[in-house]
Amino acid sequence: MDLNPNDSELLRSMLAGDEEALALLYRRRQGSIYRFALQMSGSKTIAEDVTQEVFLFLMREGHVFDPARGSVSAFLLGVARNHVLRRLRVEQLLAPLGDDSDDDVQLLHPSTDLCPLEDLTRAETIESVRKAVLSLPSKYREVVVLCELQDMSYEETAEILGCAIGTVRSRLHRARALLLAKLRPATEAEGEGSATVKSARCFA
Amino acid sequence: MNCERDEELLTRGLRALAEEMDTLDAPDELETKLREAFRTRAVVVPIARKQLNSRYWLVAMAAMLLIAISVVVVRWRASDVNGPTIAQDTPQNNPEVVSKPAEEPAGDVPYQAVDMPVKRSVRRPVRHPALPRPQNSQLANHTANEIATDFIPLSYMNVASLQDGGQIIRVELPRSALANFGLPVNMDRYNEKVKADVLLGVDGLARAIRFVQ
Repeated sequence: MDLNPNDSELLRSMLAGDEEALALLYRRRQGSIYRFALQMSGSKTIAEDVTQEVFLFLMREGHVFDPARGSVSAFLLGVARNHVLRRLRVEQLLAPLGDDSDDDVQLLHPSTDLCPLEDLTRAETIESVRKAVLSLPSKYREVVVLCELQDMSYEETAEILGCAIGTVRSRLHRARALLLAKLRPATEAEGEGSATVKSARCFA
Repeated sequence: MNCERDEELLTRGLRALAEEMDTLDAPDELETKLREAFRTRAVVVPIARKQLNSRYWLVAMAAMLLIAISVVVVRWRASDVNGPTIAQDTPQNNPEVVSKPAEEPAGDVPYQAVDMPVKRSVRRPVRHPALPRPQNSQLANHTANEIATDFIPLSYMNVASLQDGGQIIRVELPRSALANFGLPVNMDRYNEKVKADVLLGVDGLARAIRFVQ
């Protein structure tokens, strides 16, 4: 028996009824799917639901996967993308005005290796970038999430989104321009702030 | 220069966000739920697939049946259209053709009898627009080109007595007969004859007359 089977083999075993293959595939791929859904929606609840839906879909319709068209990982992220977009459409219709959702991701985790001021600045930067990404239109957001946050190549991103590589490039370029426009006051402040922090740290 | 700095700061911010979220995973209980769903599914799927197959065949058979019924109906209608619709053109209560002279107010006159139906039975609606016309259509066309007066009653009879049906016969009368009914007579054509339709009752007596040109 292969000790390190690839995703396609695990999928085949899973469809044949092997529960351990499902578990192994889940542990291997749940992180990227969960993070993708979280970065796209900004909601833990949606991210959990989407992760579950993706693997339930894989159990039901896993036989539709075609290895000639791409990897299992890309297939799963493509399914996740469809679920996230569908869910966001529903949420958009149902969300009441001025709703401050409790399950919004808060990333202000303290880190140990930075001084408190620098840590706070970094956390604020991350939070402002996260909000800026979430405010992008979905077609730009998904490109930023896949290329910049999930660190995927243009080819993989194009495979997941089902579009040309040139489209991915142009969307990413446009998305970065939009992000810069949204973050410009913050980046200017950070540019000045980083100097302040450096000096504060130096003189601490 | 400023643009490059902005780009760099943005890249740094995105990288920081990616690093921050890199440790996030789906909750552990999700795996348990999925395993349970997988075990349940292992039993359910074959049954569902069987139901799906049987449903597919049921729909296919229903479609075939529908097509067969449609073909039969179309053929039946086609044969019905080509069938005996002409036979129904004959009027109800149509007595045998009687070439009996009408009661003529103008005395003895020669006539030619022409059978014409008084009442037309209700036709079955025929949808085909290009049906061959019945043979008596020539007569219908001929009469359609004629100009006729209204029927002039010949006796003090009740109109209701005509409801039993009757028969129209085409006759030729001396032109002077027009004057008997108060119609103008062209004296230049005094000797010529004029066509008229005489309406006979079921008892064979003339009920009304109209003049035809």
